[in-house]
Amino acid sequence: METLKNAVDFSDFPRIDLVIAGAVAFLFLIFPLFSASSFAMATMIQFFMFSLYGMGWNTIGGYGGQVDLGKAQYVGIGAYTTAVMLLRWDIPFWVSMPVGMGIAVIWSFIIGYPLFRLKGHYFAIATIATSLVLKDLFTVWSFVGAARGLEISPITYPPPDYMRLIFKEDIYYYYLILGFFFLGLLYMNWFRKSRLGFQLRCIKDNEDMARSLGINVHWAKIKTYAIATAFVSMVGSFHVCYIKVIEPVDIMSLDLSILIALMAMLGGAGSLWGPIIGAGVLIPLRSYLKEWLGAAAGLVGIDLIFYALIIMIVSAFEPRGIWGIVEKVRRRKRR
Amino acid sequence: MDLLLGSIAAGIVLGMVIALVALGLTIIFGVMEIVNFAHGEFLMVGMYTGLLTAQATGTDPIFTLPVAAIVGFLLGVICYAGFIKFLIRGPMVAQLLGTFGLMLFLRNLALLIFGSSDRTVHHGILVGKSFDIGMGIILPATKAAAAGLSVIAFLAVWLLMNRTKIGKALTATALNAQAARYMGIPTEKMNALAWGIGGGSVTVAGALIVNFWAVNPFMGLLFTMIAFTVVALGGFGSVPGAFFAGLVVGLIMEIPGFWDFFTYTFDWPWMADVPMTSLKYMWIYVAYFVITVIRPRGLFGWKH
Repeated sequence: METLKNAVDFSDFPRIDLVIAGAVAFLFLIFPLFSASSFAMATMIQFFMFSLYGMGWNTIGGYGGQVDLGKAQYVGIGAYTTAVMLLRWDIPFWVSMPVGMGIAVIWSFIIGYPLFRLKGHYFAIATIATSLVLKDLFTVWSFVGAARGLEISPITYPPPDYMRLIFKEDIYYYYLILGFFFLGLLYMNWFRKSRLGFQLRCIKDNEDMARSLGINVHWAKIKTYAIATAFVSMVGSFHVCYIKVIEPVDIMSLDLSILIALMAMLGGAGSLWGPIIGAGVLIPLRSYLKEWLGAAAGLVGIDLIFYALIIMIVSAFEPRGIWGIVEKVRRRKRR
Repeated sequence: MDLLLGSIAAGIVLGMVIALVALGLTIIFGVMEIVNFAHGEFLMVGMYTGLLTAQATGTDPIFTLPVAAIVGFLLGVICYAGFIKFLIRGPMVAQLLGTFGLMLFLRNLALLIFGSSDRTVHHGILVGKSFDIGMGIILPATKAAAAGLSVIAFLAVWLLMNRTKIGKALTATALNAQAARYMGIPTEKMNALAWGIGGGSVTVAGALIVNFWAVNPFMGLLFTMIAFTVVALGGFGSVPGAFFAGLVVGLIMEIPGFWDFFTYTFDWPWMADVPMTSLKYMWIYVAYFVITVIRPRGLFGWKH
């Protein structure tokens, strides 16, 4: 009960934030009513997925300060579990998603134990390495379709299928992921006020001090990593039901890992709204840049050049992200 | 037995080139503690430079090394002065993602300019020739030349770092930038120089590799990871460490060859079923993970 009260309690934010957040949430709810194009709809679904990925990353990367660049492996585990269980044994999404989360969390414990003995760049590169190892293994493992990947054919499962999440119209996916999004937001709101959340921020500021206060640093990091993993793997399961095709080079690529980290950082790592703002800026930008510059003008790669420039400018000049700018402006006003 | 010797020879020859690839990364890290994710992309720039210069002038890519060195030096200095200088003031997250942005930028610029297809060297005095040393060791002339020139370039950089005043100033900056500044060493210039040397050495390695390796805009990441593994094994910041670790990593990259040898020698059927050639690069990532967990300082590390 206490937990639930903590999760829905947003009262420590300024009222203006809550008004804006409420208005945006209302807009999200009614968005499909006047949705013009399916492209906009797809972009919105991607936005929700990536803000959930970003929230997951934010627990370990933002609050904990451990730069994890291997989140794609957990997207892959979640996605593959759902796809394999559906295609081989016809097990619906609502069963395979928790199973996928379980597998991902077990894997995160296995590699998290040695991983968190590392710090700084060593840790970041090691997460990339584990992710790439898993990708290479999935590329040759014929049980999961090897390099060709898997495809969920909507013909075998006539839509709308609420158990297996096979729909024809995007609107079903939209409301489903919106539900996940609100749940994730509430969870994150609880998390940042939980015991683990405070411990993590302490670890981020000064690890030795945290240890002297009696915090089990190693175990706190592993626990948080498992939480982040569960988040990411859950959305990974949804991801595969939505896009219906997975290939290891695509879903476990380093680019996806970086995108997740980048999104949280652009919005402002270590804040509740950060990943959402980051995804809200980057995902539409990416989709539309690709549509206008990449596809329409025939210039392959130019969208990613702009994208890279944004990354470079943000990390060089405003590493605390958009939310950092907002907070800076507020602090100046208060004086 | 021939198979085993051949694999070892190929691994060592490749390792010499890889050592040169990793040299730039370890110098940059040693001097200013920033991990350059765009390192493999620098290599790619070197490969394209070698290839295009060779095609434009009609010479062998071996003779384009000075051009590649100059391009790499300028690239490194420009990246430092225009971007890294601002980046190092921020936290580590920003540094990691910032150099990653640089990598994405260079990669997609190459994609935009050159397209996504593989390009290889078709002409040249060395292409297609090989030395048969005997005992199953057949060295392609391109690889042998690349290995020899890599060792020479490596030695040159090592001499520069250890036997000249500039090298001493670089080492001083690496050990303690603040104290170096008090001693009148322009640390800002030294940082730029470290990026220049790092960029120059890796583009030279690129111009050597292009003789026997196809170049496309996406090949950078693999070499970045290879370089990270070498540098982690040799110790971040250690120049001799990079050389020995390069040889070890070269042998790791030949694991499929060793696997074949054991498959034929012991004749176990299950070994032949493992798709080892597809898992060729996985062992590099595994090696990185194992090395950093077991010995984060590396073999010759003096800084971590």
